Amino acid sequence: MDNKIDIKARIAAIDPAAVWSDAGDGMFRIPVSSFRETAEMLRKEAGFDFLRSLTGMDWGEEGLGCVYHLENTSTGGTITVSTADKDRENAALPSVQDLWKGANFNEREAYDFFGIKFIGHPDLRRLFLRDDWKGHPLRKDYDMALNPLNMKNEVSDDDAPSYEMTPDGSYILKRHPLFEEEEYVINIGPQHPATHGVLRFQVSLEGETIKKIDAHCGYIHRGIEKLCESSTYPQTLGFTDRLDYLGAMQNRHALCMCIEKAMGLEVSERIQYIRTIMDELQRIDSHLLFTSCLAQDMGALEVFFLGFRDREKVLDILEETTGGRLIQTYNTIGGVQADIHPDFVRKVKEFISYMRPKLKEYHEIFTGNVIARERLIGTGKLSREDAISFGATGGTGRASGWACDVRKRHPYAMYGKVDFEEIVLGNGDCFDRYMVRMKEIEQSMNIIAQLIDNIPEGEYQMKVKPLIKLPEGSWYSAVEGSRGEFGVFIESRGDRYPYRVKFRSTGLPLVSCVDTIARNVKIADLIAIGGTLDYVIPDIDR
Amino acid sequence: MVGYIKGIFRGLGSLLTGMKVTFKEFFTRKITEQYPENRAVLKMHDRFCGELVMPDESKCIACGLCQMACPNSTIKITTEPVTDPETGKTRKRLVKYEYDLGSCMFCHLCVNACPHDAIRFSTEFEHAVFTRSKLVKILNKQ
Amino acid sequence: MFDFGIVTNWIHTQLASVMSESLAIFLECVIIGVCLLLLYVVIAIIMIYMERKVCAAFQCRLGPTRVGPWGSIQVICDVFKMLTKEIITIRHSDRFLYNLAPYIVIIASVTAFACIPVSRGLEILDFNVGVLFFMAASSIGIIGILLAGWSSNSKFSLIGAMRSGAQMISYELSVGLSILTIVVLTDTMQFSEIVMRQADGWFIFKGHIPAVIAFIIYLIAGNAEVNRGPFDLPEAESELTAGYHTEYSGMHFGLFYVAEFVNLFIISSVAATIFLGGWMPLHIPGLDGFNAVMDAIPGFIWFFAKAFFIVWLLMWIKWTFPRLRIDQILTLEWKYLVPIGLVNLLLMVIVVVFKLHF
Repeated sequence: MDNKIDIKARIAAIDPAAVWSDAGDGMFRIPVSSFRETAEMLRKEAGFDFLRSLTGMDWGEEGLGCVYHLENTSTGGTITVSTADKDRENAALPSVQDLWKGANFNEREAYDFFGIKFIGHPDLRRLFLRDDWKGHPLRKDYDMALNPLNMKNEVSDDDAPSYEMTPDGSYILKRHPLFEEEEYVINIGPQHPATHGVLRFQVSLEGETIKKIDAHCGYIHRGIEKLCESSTYPQTLGFTDRLDYLGAMQNRHALCMCIEKAMGLEVSERIQYIRTIMDELQRIDSHLLFTSCLAQDMGALEVFFLGFRDREKVLDILEETTGGRLIQTYNTIGGVQADIHPDFVRKVKEFISYMRPKLKEYHEIFTGNVIARERLIGTGKLSREDAISFGATGGTGRASGWACDVRKRHPYAMYGKVDFEEIVLGNGDCFDRYMVRMKEIEQSMNIIAQLIDNIPEGEYQMKVKPLIKLPEGSWYSAVEGSRGEFGVFIESRGDRYPYRVKFRSTGLPLVSCVDTIARNVKIADLIAIGGTLDYVIPDIDR
Repeated sequence: MVGYIKGIFRGLGSLLTGMKVTFKEFFTRKITEQYPENRAVLKMHDRFCGELVMPDESKCIACGLCQMACPNSTIKITTEPVTDPETGKTRKRLVKYEYDLGSCMFCHLCVNACPHDAIRFSTEFEHAVFTRSKLVKILNKQ
Repeated sequence: MFDFGIVTNWIHTQLASVMSESLAIFLECVIIGVCLLLLYVVIAIIMIYMERKVCAAFQCRLGPTRVGPWGSIQVICDVFKMLTKEIITIRHSDRFLYNLAPYIVIIASVTAFACIPVSRGLEILDFNVGVLFFMAASSIGIIGILLAGWSSNSKFSLIGAMRSGAQMISYELSVGLSILTIVVLTDTMQFSEIVMRQADGWFIFKGHIPAVIAFIIYLIAGNAEVNRGPFDLPEAESELTAGYHTEYSGMHFGLFYVAEFVNLFIISSVAATIFLGGWMPLHIPGLDGFNAVMDAIPGFIWFFAKAFFIVWLLMWIKWTFPRLRIDQILTLEWKYLVPIGLVNLLLMVIVVVFKLHF
């Protein structure tokens, strides 16, 4: 708390108009005029080097703005700041993408959905929607009728706009071409076997060498955040399973945790145990799929089938208890949907004893293979600084030497009480990203082995009122998803419906750093890099 | 030069280790599920959510809570008022319980909302039909 | 060992007795051509079926099971499906070259196929520089692939074709060197003669160390030569979707597909011929009873058994390893296979000069 007071004083020193608002988790509200200066202070002097989440907001009368969740990776201190511009027609905020690289895509998203111009952003294109979209859909005054079903092909802009402010307060729009005329540009995606979904990379090639990559997202954007604003809290849960479909348990866990935090509801120990075990099973499932798909992208189909065969066993266990394989609808507000199946404990133990020798087999056929090693070791290096700056959490960050595991940073559920090792490797190359996941499978099994015999008796669903209303305020909670920090930000105005829900995507930072990692590598390396970054498209396009 | 030769043998060794694993897999039992030939023996887990069913429609009091809980307007209930001849009170009676499987996202909110456990999920999973309209099912029999 | 030359000679004399010599030869050529194409198709179908079954077995699956017993009719159905599909013409493509490319590939493949001695007296093209002719014929296929990539007017195809050009021309060298090693041992380049010289032991045993090294190099280089995994870069599906044949459809694609599989068979059967004795049964000098039993098995069975064994070996390799990157492929060839092949050739010369072979 001392830290917070100290920060408070320093923020007040820059602009006395900055206020601390207490509702929910609380945040600093900083006037837009001094925001840039404050942000620079926070980044450079106070050491907040990790931008956890950037949320565009429409506060109605108070204008359009953003909420920034920051963290200091050396001390672990967190801070939430926000700023807003009252001019709804021409809302403009200073860009912070030069302070935190991860802000680049997030600001594009905020521009896309709220129409906030970020002054100084070099490439302020829409991130998710079509270039010819009218209006900004997450604004409260957005008119649905503006965009009827468009039957024409999209003509995508070949140049990137940026806004600069003149001293008299008007804006200059500048456009920069994305690619030069004579560049050999190929489209990897949206329909491509190695992008794992509908993601499109425009790749400029020189021979086989990649010179520049431009990522296009949004091909399966479903507007889940907008949908949530008109759903009751229990109804929002259903969407989380459809974000990162390989982290359905964890995503839902995050949202339930956030709502429970806002309600002030403590769940029983049994629920915590079940949720933790389920999260870890889901992580094993996801990491097995990661290994399979990476191997398949690199042409080793054998490993792909081995991985899927073993993953099937996890899915079987999950299905028996939850009734679903991919979409599990298991966590609920204040509990879980159903108690664990009577066979659950036995089957989980069987699986763990089955899986341990199988992992060795993977190492024999793939990890040790000279071709795989040659292709993975040293390719696609991401430095620790870049990983933090981009906010590339999860296995990617840990492979770069950044101990970014939410389970250790902000322990939740049972993670504070179990003994497990956070895998942190140092090279930041494809091979380390792969190894982090392989070792995490073992760690997940260790966690499960510690918990599975001691699940305490208790209720699996707390008593919750059928009509859930959150008090006014805003909350952020995060879990360690299968591929990084999955955060949920809720702002409530005291209704049955959330005022704003933002999901911190685990995949968006990973995609935003592709251009940095994959410059001057071969096409084949791009495939390996994409495979090891392990993004899931529905999680990027929420 | 020594490193070069060592590299060759180490590389070959790693390749042979991999081939050993695949050779073992060549002779292990195959895991292919022979659907639909195995239909008779294929048993889903009892909690598997295939579609919404109403096993005992007398339990349904047509309160409409499931309809309200549904995020996708998957459920549509038509009711008519009936007067109880003994007490003289009017209450609602279920006429038609329409369930659109095509827009159901299996979120369980309807099942959780039902005060009398009149609806639940069945393990039926063979849903392929030729038109969308066939996915709209009437759960009560009348 | 039964000599099929007796049958063919008899047919020739019968034909020559009813018509003029030149007409008889013309007719024979036509018959042989038809037989060759039929055999080509049959081999292609067997290879595709085998690939699907073997790959499935390696991957814990069953492979095709539904059409026919054990799915054996599946491939034939696929062929008919392929034949009925529309051949799409790409706008802005070089129409002539685009249509020509698959035929160049298939012609190269059929010509190389004709060089292989299936059994004693069953050789179609068998002349004293047979090995040289085989090398020349099989390398024409590269032109077809390059043309396909170039004329499709697709960037993916072009990258695939460039990769394939770089790769196949490089690996031609290693294939040549390893065959040359055996030519040094046999002092003949005629396929039938090479087989005959293996009557008292296959070359892989007779030539011992250099022959084994040459065999391994040949397998690696041959695998790369036919663009099979782990060297399937030109069509690396996770990078270039389908490489040089991305834009082809229907039977034009089918021709590439069939040629790829038969090329695999050709490479395997040449390996079987020059290293494992071709149709020559397993003979161990001194064991006459054993040799007689071995001789009772017809030659073409020996040949196909050996060839398909090597096919299986290559499939095993393909379905185990990840794909190499383009620079690694060239590194492997120029920094490893070529120098080793050259040293090995020298070794073989020493072995032959000092009569160190068996």
